[in-house]
Amino acid sequence: MNPAYVDIIRIRFLMMLAYRVNYYSGIIIYAINIGAYYFLWQAIYGNQEVLGGFTINQMTTYIAVSWMARAFYFNNLDREIADEIRDGSVAIQFIRPYNYLMVKLMQGLGEGLFRLLLFMVPGMVVVCLIFPVTLPTDPTVWGWYLVMLFFSFLINTQINMLTGLFAFFVENNTGLIRMKRVLVDLFSGVIIPMSFFPGWLEGIMKWLPFQAITYLPSSVFTGRTPISEAGAVFGLQVLWCVLLAVPILAVWRAARTRLFVQGG
Amino acid sequence: MSANIAIDVDRLKKQFRVQKNREGLAGAMKDLFKREYTDVTAVKEISFQIPQGEICGYIGENGAGKSTTIKMLTGILVPTSGGLRVNGHIPHKEREAFVKGIGVVFGQRSQLWWDIGVIESFQLLRKVYKVPEAEYRKRLTELVERLKLADLLHRPVRKLSLGQRMRCELVAALLHNPSILFLDEPTIGLDILVKTEIREFLKEMNQEHGTTILLTTHDLQDIEALCSRVIMLDDGRIIYDGNLTDLKTKWSKGREIQFQFGTQVKLPQLEQLTAGLEGVQWKLVNEVTAVLWLPMAVNVSDAMARVVVVGDIRDIKIFETNTDEIVREIYQTEKTPT
Amino acid sequence: MFVMGLFWEYMKNYAKTRLTYRADFWIEVLSDLLFQGLNLIFILVVFQHTDSLGGWSQAEVVFVYGYFMIPYGIFNTFFNLWSFSERYIVKGEMDRVLTRPAHNLVQIVLENMDPPSLIGSFIGMIIVGISWSQLGMPFELLDLLIMTALVLSSVMIYAGLYIALTAVAFYSDSPTGILPLMYNIQNYGRYPVGIFNKTIRFILTWVLPFAFVGVYPASYFLERPGIEGSMAILTPVVGLVFLFIGLAIWNHGVSRYRGAGS
Repeated sequence: MNPAYVDIIRIRFLMMLAYRVNYYSGIIIYAINIGAYYFLWQAIYGNQEVLGGFTINQMTTYIAVSWMARAFYFNNLDREIADEIRDGSVAIQFIRPYNYLMVKLMQGLGEGLFRLLLFMVPGMVVVCLIFPVTLPTDPTVWGWYLVMLFFSFLINTQINMLTGLFAFFVENNTGLIRMKRVLVDLFSGVIIPMSFFPGWLEGIMKWLPFQAITYLPSSVFTGRTPISEAGAVFGLQVLWCVLLAVPILAVWRAARTRLFVQGG
Repeated sequence: MSANIAIDVDRLKKQFRVQKNREGLAGAMKDLFKREYTDVTAVKEISFQIPQGEICGYIGENGAGKSTTIKMLTGILVPTSGGLRVNGHIPHKEREAFVKGIGVVFGQRSQLWWDIGVIESFQLLRKVYKVPEAEYRKRLTELVERLKLADLLHRPVRKLSLGQRMRCELVAALLHNPSILFLDEPTIGLDILVKTEIREFLKEMNQEHGTTILLTTHDLQDIEALCSRVIMLDDGRIIYDGNLTDLKTKWSKGREIQFQFGTQVKLPQLEQLTAGLEGVQWKLVNEVTAVLWLPMAVNVSDAMARVVVVGDIRDIKIFETNTDEIVREIYQTEKTPT
Repeated sequence: MFVMGLFWEYMKNYAKTRLTYRADFWIEVLSDLLFQGLNLIFILVVFQHTDSLGGWSQAEVVFVYGYFMIPYGIFNTFFNLWSFSERYIVKGEMDRVLTRPAHNLVQIVLENMDPPSLIGSFIGMIIVGISWSQLGMPFELLDLLIMTALVLSSVMIYAGLYIALTAVAFYSDSPTGILPLMYNIQNYGRYPVGIFNKTIRFILTWVLPFAFVGVYPASYFLERPGIEGSMAILTPVVGLVFLFIGLAIWNHGVSRYRGAGS
């Protein structure tokens, strides 16, 4: 791998550090989000013990972990790519000795690592102190989860790239980007776990990549999905990762030819 | 203060607080919790007055404080200290009343709407500046005719060339008939034809309407074509303020005359002709061409008189030291403390 | 009035700009509605598993949701300031705004208007209408007047809050600002605040008073007993206070910008 990529991660990490208003407000806002959803779910459960296969305690852990995971995998690469395509600066990237998409991926990773270390870790400590979150004690669960978290990042980033690259073909894809964001938040399971959806919708979800971002890994983490099935979950993530790479490369190829033929 | 002073600047100063970024990861972590700042003085107590109807060039290298001064003069920035009066207003205090009397063009930024016809932008500006319809019509007709824009009015700005856009920017800044026009790099990136056109236009505006113009530029041709006066800035201080001719006589060290002779000439022969003239120098370009360098102290006619006795001179050219060189010279002397 | 004249002029230019990109227009409207629909889906899904949320029925929660959409759509039409920091501070367009003879915030608001957001308000009205009849509430003309007053107050709260948050760009060098992060928080004002603990309830009432954009004013019509219903009356007061605070922070920010420059 080109050593420049490591530097790209580092630079993005430093860039994130430079904006401290974002940092402080980010921690507070994530804490409020987790808190609000905690109480919301408390009210939804009311007197009921189990909903959608989750006990209230599993639900609490699920919310905390899912929001924290979102901090890691979330990025704005879709908008960044679209902006660079629209203002034409993407053309410069073709003459540089690296792969543009790889650079973007690394930038996202730098951002994610920043949030993981400076957001998730302190955030998780705070959340565990305030809310009755029960973290798994089995180190294999933790191990599996961290690997799956990385693949959550990959899949989400791939979806972002695909959305961003559409700017090559339509003049303004802001709407598309927003729609994608809704779909990811709704169908990845951050807001509602898949098992709460009506059967037919849950059935459709099984065939889409979104659940591999949050729902599947978080279910393993909270113990709803037994650890023995972790391998299958991970396999599904890898499968989606490979499947999503295909259209991205196709779009990228098409975009390159288009750019060379029409010029900028 | 006399009434016909358009811009009055008195010991104007502007200081910025700039954040220091510490290096590396450890530095960035420290910055997250505690920031360090340094004070930078961009404009260091400068004073000048510009009378109404003058075209004044404001020049200096990048970062010399030109833009900061312009931003203070147009009311965008508030000065740290010092007195400032433009058109009788204190720009940052009575901002909305003040800006009605000025026009501003930032060469690198557009004030027109990107996606719609130019004329729509003009209409909107008419409303913003509360220009009466009749006056607006008259003014627009005049400006459009002068700048030959009639065909462009309904085109969206994004479809205009830079030169076309810049002419439209000028109209946008002049629709409300401001008595002072601020131009920040108005000719940047334009081709020579458009540059000339814009210079001509500005000169006419100045002569017919008495518009005071203050322009910053990197192109000294702009200054030569337009300005009766130059203010030169370096590191936040004024290092020259006066007219262009004085600038040349004061700083130019001399000029060159190139002779093309009908027959072959030799250096000692030429040097003998001008013997006795202090500081002159000959240089052979080729067998029949020679260049004579004259210091300011020596009269051109004296030197010519000596040389023409040779007879058979095919061609004579006089080269003035150009402004670029003078300015470079000034900067170099000002920068190396003597 | 001068500002109204300008408003009309900007509006015409907006329309002309949009007509050049017609296809995008509908995608944007659709995505905007989907974006807001996210929470409606949440409500609908959740009520499949329970009949009450902290003592509120589905129709009541949907009513609050519908009410929220009305001020939110109006707010989004006029205070579309998401890219303020990028466009005006980083790219320097603030300088241009400051050389024009109209209040800077008025110019910025008008330059960024987004009328399609009003469609969200219409849909909100329809939702309110449907749940109104579902709940079998009597309808009087007075309700309409009070609704208008409350909606305007809610818009003021939203405006004040977002003007203040946008003004952060004057004080900090953050490129994205904190606006996107706020998106989720505003949604919590749509749920009965009684279900939250004291801290979050306090935040939603007095610090980021999104409860005044949703559940409090809506409770007036639902005639809910308890804290929600009694807070409704305070909506206009909170609206004025927050708008005032927002403008003060903005003006201070502008003077700071002019002191510091770039």
